[in-house]
Amino acid sequence: MAMNRRDFLKVSAGTSGSLMLSLSLPGCSGMQTGYTQETGEWKPDAWLEITDNDEIHFTLARVEMGQGVYTGLTTLIAEELEVDPGAITPRFAPVAPEYRNPFYKLQLTGGSTSIATSWEPLRTAGASARQMLILAAARVWQVDATECSARQGRVIHPNGLDSMRYGQLVELASKEVIRGDIALKPASKWKYIGNQAGKLDARAKSTGTAVYGIDVELPGMVYGVVSRPPRYGARVQAFNDSEVRAMPGVLDVFEIERGVAIVADKYWRARKAQDVLKAEWDNADALSLSTDEVFASYRRAAGEDPGESERSEGDYDAAAGAAGKIFEAEYSQPYLAHSTLEPMNATAWYRDNSIEVWAPTQAPDLGRIAAARVTDLAPGDVTINTTFLGGGFGRRLTQDYIEEAAAVAYRVKKPVKIIWSREEDTQHDLYRPAMLHRMQAGLDGNQLTGWHHQIVGPQLLDWYVRNAAPAQYPWAPKFMYDTLGKVGLLAEGIATPKDMSAIEGAIEYPYNVGNIDIRHTHTDPGVPVTFWRSVGYSHNGFAVETFMDELAHETGEDPYQFRRKLLTGQPRHLEVLDRAVRLAGWDTPVVEGRGRGIALFKSFGTFVAQVVEAGVENGTIKVYKVACAVDCGQVVNPRIVEDQIEGGIIFGLTAALYGEITFENGQVKQSNFHDYPLMRQYELPEVTVDIVQSTEAPTGVGEPGVPPVIPALGNALFALTGKRQRSLPLKADA
Amino acid sequence: MALSLTVNGEHRSLDIEGDTPLLWVLRDELGLKGTKFGCGVGLCGACTVHLNGQPVRSCSTLLESAAGGEVTTIEGLAEGGQLHALQEAWIAEGVPQCGYCQSGQIMSAAHLLATNPAPARDDIVAAMTGNLCRCGTYSRIIAAVESVAGSSSMENSLAYDAAAARELS
Repeated sequence: MAMNRRDFLKVSAGTSGSLMLSLSLPGCSGMQTGYTQETGEWKPDAWLEITDNDEIHFTLARVEMGQGVYTGLTTLIAEELEVDPGAITPRFAPVAPEYRNPFYKLQLTGGSTSIATSWEPLRTAGASARQMLILAAARVWQVDATECSARQGRVIHPNGLDSMRYGQLVELASKEVIRGDIALKPASKWKYIGNQAGKLDARAKSTGTAVYGIDVELPGMVYGVVSRPPRYGARVQAFNDSEVRAMPGVLDVFEIERGVAIVADKYWRARKAQDVLKAEWDNADALSLSTDEVFASYRRAAGEDPGESERSEGDYDAAAGAAGKIFEAEYSQPYLAHSTLEPMNATAWYRDNSIEVWAPTQAPDLGRIAAARVTDLAPGDVTINTTFLGGGFGRRLTQDYIEEAAAVAYRVKKPVKIIWSREEDTQHDLYRPAMLHRMQAGLDGNQLTGWHHQIVGPQLLDWYVRNAAPAQYPWAPKFMYDTLGKVGLLAEGIATPKDMSAIEGAIEYPYNVGNIDIRHTHTDPGVPVTFWRSVGYSHNGFAVETFMDELAHETGEDPYQFRRKLLTGQPRHLEVLDRAVRLAGWDTPVVEGRGRGIALFKSFGTFVAQVVEAGVENGTIKVYKVACAVDCGQVVNPRIVEDQIEGGIIFGLTAALYGEITFENGQVKQSNFHDYPLMRQYELPEVTVDIVQSTEAPTGVGEPGVPPVIPALGNALFALTGKRQRSLPLKADA
Repeated sequence: MALSLTVNGEHRSLDIEGDTPLLWVLRDELGLKGTKFGCGVGLCGACTVHLNGQPVRSCSTLLESAAGGEVTTIEGLAEGGQLHALQEAWIAEGVPQCGYCQSGQIMSAAHLLATNPAPARDDIVAAMTGNLCRCGTYSRIIAAVESVAGSSSMENSLAYDAAAARELS
């Protein structure tokens, strides 16, 4: 994006002699900002503040949920500011327009966008501060600023001997004006980008001192639990109020929109009181379906409605008519839970016509809407304090848990912490949607002449826009919220972004095929759904890359060569594919009893190819090796890239091997890690990650490791058994 | 009736129901928030602490069954202001991602090394298999434990060399 870097930078002197820089990110024009045109003032939501005693505070506009922004974004600032990243104290941002993610125009962390959207602005902020400090020092010394330099928090005199601490210069520096564009350091001068190995939050997280939402402690705090209806959409009809109230420590029992809340002086007393709660539910509007019916409804919808065209090239129907052979397959994927290890929780305190919330949230501005909804307050009366997140994976983009805490706090008027049990977390999640894919290909001999992909299932914005639309217009009165949500959906693609959640990854089909027809049949069975690590790519990756494997076998070609031949003009795809193949020794014979499978998938701008080596041992699938090549452009922190890709692989394998949420009569069957298992230490395959050295703009790594590993494992099992599995999770005895 | 515990070397008296899980006693009565709640039924290991030298799942250990015992939590692992070697290794290796499971992971590893200073890879995997990590930090955990196990065995270094390990397997 071409822009004058000064366009998004504002400088001010802090209240007590400090240098403060604010940023207005591109893409936010026309939206409310902290800047007041009339007075030329900024409210003190500084991104970067350097105090006169050399403290450097950096406001982290993205939340830390394990993906590494605490280290990665701080590194970007540190590099240009010429300080060690460890010298900077990051703090989690409050809700303010400046901290919105320019990609979504909401203050949310997701979509593997943090590094990509911060790459230019944060380095510019660091460079600007450095330049102003240098200008101030040059003025003091009466020397040419271009002959001064900065190093380790000091400005160095041209004589190379004298220096001044940044802290000594901040007051003067805040009065300096930068003329012209701000030069960023060339890559050859980087000290931390591409090299930084340590993680700034590792100490706190290895000593038990990092504060997660569940750890928030407030004076006089009480504890709440909520019993939610087993069937989604049911309402409270009646409950045994007096029996629950008689339990030790119970302070209050009452109905909230989402269920029955029990508040007690201690958490365990609230749980014990919950054991005696007998609630009756009004199931008139409740979900009543079972998983089989979901897929039956998808098949029905697929037959009735060919779907909206999402990508069309050439003439697929003509190509299919002329093809020597039509090959077809149907794939399906189940609902999946997020299973963040820190269950949903939030703490809220309603007092003095305001509410303060402490929560592990991926979207604090949506949390503000959620709290305003259930109280008599406006979003401006809501303060959200973000903590470390014990995992996010998309679950904490939805603010139902903040809504509950706010509703309970509004009633009890005391600080109250709501903690979900694991069972509640599993059964009242919003799930990765179950999806169905109908694939068809035209083949002429060994030539792939046509590609048809019909995606069947819901769109996530239908569920998300409820709080997202009002969050974009926080000044709108509350009675408008539902209208805003509806307008947001109706104006999709015009006033709001097009919903890519069902089709992403499918429409970017990279292979050179002349005739392409990709469609989405939009159907929603009413099961609550939301974003789940890698979102639409998670299911489209399986459909596309399994079908490609089937076609390779159908044409008698090696699955690697089959893909390779169709990637002319796609150098980054080819590079990761070739690297993964080399890393895995694709051409060497595989150990007896094992199969190798390959998959290639680009998501969130990052190219990933994987080769999985797997077998079946004692009736269970065993994954031995995963060789992975990734191209995410410029690498900021190789250690974090490796971790995220490996973590994504384990997340994907967990889904491929175990992930399945099923419904029976509108009720989720699974409840805890015994029936919704996660991959354990003893199952860990040998994972090797090869990162392409690149000078392309950086892209995200939090999610792209997930999609390809699922088809790569399925393809490996096919190579071993000759039996193709077209639904997930994969079975050892298919 | 008050129940007592020794927690991280300090004697603590607790006037609370004996059927309260140790986890909530540590977190809410004693303010030791480093021990985490993950599943409530001993399946994830996030709540692992040492009770009389043994690793236990504090979410499913009732206070009355722990009464009179000696409890060590992540907060009590450092000695004389020095972090435990495993904590140093966790930091050096950059193990944590979201970090939520790591207190439990470190407590499980600390018990392993206390009973077996030079564990083989299989011993480590077996000892750590009860601790779930949703972020997938498993290989870094192994590397961190092996780096400590290696340093504690002078003549037979077990330091984990990822590249060498790959060559061998």
